[in-house]
Amino acid sequence: MKKILVIEDDVAIRQELSELLENASYEAAVLEDFVNAKNAILAAGADLILLDINIPGLNGELLLREIRKETDVPVVMVTSRDSEADEVLSMSYGADDYITKPYNPTILLLRISAILKRAEHTASVCHYKDLCINSAKGVLKKGEEELFLTKNEMIILQVLLDKQGVIVSRDELMTALWDNNEFVNDNALTVNISRLRAKLAEFGYEDMIETRKKQGYLLV
Amino acid sequence: MKFGKYVQDELFAIIAGVLFWLVLTVFFAFFYISFSFILFMTVLFLFFAISVLLWGFFRRRKFYNQLFQNLDRLDQKYLLLETLDKPDFYDGELLCQAFYEMEKSMCENVRSYQHSMNDFKEYIEMWVHEVKIPISSLLLMCHNNQDTIAPKYARQIRRLSQYTDQVLYYVRSEHAANDYVIKKEQLGKLVKKAVIQNKEDLLENKIDIHVEEIGQTVMTDGKWFEFILNQILNNSIKYKSDKRQPVIHIFAEDLPSMTILHVKDNGIGICEGDLPNVFKKSFTGENGRHHAKSTGMGLYIVKKLCKSLGHGIEIKSVAEEYTEVIFAFVKNDYYFIS
Repeated sequence: MKKILVIEDDVAIRQELSELLENASYEAAVLEDFVNAKNAILAAGADLILLDINIPGLNGELLLREIRKETDVPVVMVTSRDSEADEVLSMSYGADDYITKPYNPTILLLRISAILKRAEHTASVCHYKDLCINSAKGVLKKGEEELFLTKNEMIILQVLLDKQGVIVSRDELMTALWDNNEFVNDNALTVNISRLRAKLAEFGYEDMIETRKKQGYLLV
Repeated sequence: MKFGKYVQDELFAIIAGVLFWLVLTVFFAFFYISFSFILFMTVLFLFFAISVLLWGFFRRRKFYNQLFQNLDRLDQKYLLLETLDKPDFYDGELLCQAFYEMEKSMCENVRSYQHSMNDFKEYIEMWVHEVKIPISSLLLMCHNNQDTIAPKYARQIRRLSQYTDQVLYYVRSEHAANDYVIKKEQLGKLVKKAVIQNKEDLLENKIDIHVEEIGQTVMTDGKWFEFILNQILNNSIKYKSDKRQPVIHIFAEDLPSMTILHVKDNGIGICEGDLPNVFKKSFTGENGRHHAKSTGMGLYIVKKLCKSLGHGIEIKSVAEEYTEVIFAFVKNDYYFIS
């Protein structure tokens, strides 16, 4: 389980963020004492840090620069200051991403998972049972047999694969599609999922994707 | 400055001069002084009197003509004093002194307003940033408790967030001095960000959105332009037509000198009479009265921001058919000199 450290001075947001991250099956840690922030951050050994710029008593941008001297852990700046200048500055200090409040929770999760994936240098090829999935090419391979997926189908399958065993909401799938410039509507998403299922069934993987009523989908 | 008027003004001195001449002439006549001497005295007197009159006239005319000419040509009339040569007559000096005092007091006044405006602006910016924190918490709470909190709550919170953003950008558009950074941005990415921001509203309103491949880069401030697009998309959502499947079509074209971005919807459109006024402050028009509630500020702010960023913006529309917003980004090599 990936550990995400939340550095945020607003207690309500801090709690909700940890809940959001835990629901998305991450391990959430919060920093409550900002006095010795740098050492505490380094000691926490997180896989990713969510860092607010406006923390009383310390400057998030400077803190970021200090952290960068010691470690390459991915840092996402979260802030309510939303000027381009702040973003440029943060990125130049080595932030991996910059998200402004109020953020869309699904998009936040999407960004986090994208950055974690980038940090892991995962290849674009992954495996599911005896399937070999090449997401860049949109091809599923079983031995010599090949199955071609459309871009949308591949995006959906990829999200489900990344969160294997966890229920993925329609909203998450939709956000992932939109993030890839596929602005589909509700009907199109349903159609894409049923096509993907049909293709997988034809390939010998019936019931690979389960529907959980009112919750979403699950790759079993 | 007119000579006639000046003579009228000096009438008392002239009458005094004439009386003095009369008295002198009568006095001379009593003493049997020769007529030719009186004539000589008269000519001499006239010569001096007219000289004094003309001299007084011309040196004033020089000053006042300059004053009125400069007043005409200046667009900031309060700077008049700085453009004048120092007058060489007493009443002119007094006038300049009075001008100087007036200018000084006005500058002080303007300055104090500037200060209070700046304070207000800073406060509003700070307030917006503060208010975004509870808004963020609320959105997260809605998301974390989706099974118990209906989506309608999140919708209202999103509205709240949009209105606070509008305030922030209104303040920024009124005092656009140092808040923006113009750099190379991928237009497609900005469009995507703005569209995703409105994902929930677009889906709830069952609006189909077609975004064509946009590969152009433009010079702009990313955050500002995202806000601009956001406002335009909000309008398209707000003023969709119930008579057909709502569609928003976004595409870009490349011209030799500029990049054009089109955002076209098939909503209720804007009637011809309202079209020239849509960018005016507080203008609501037919649509604002009959359809969705409108503040008349959205497009006004958009126009101002576009002006600051140097983008052209134009709206084409046919009532009951479509509204098309067109942005023009000038391609300028000047920006690329590093």
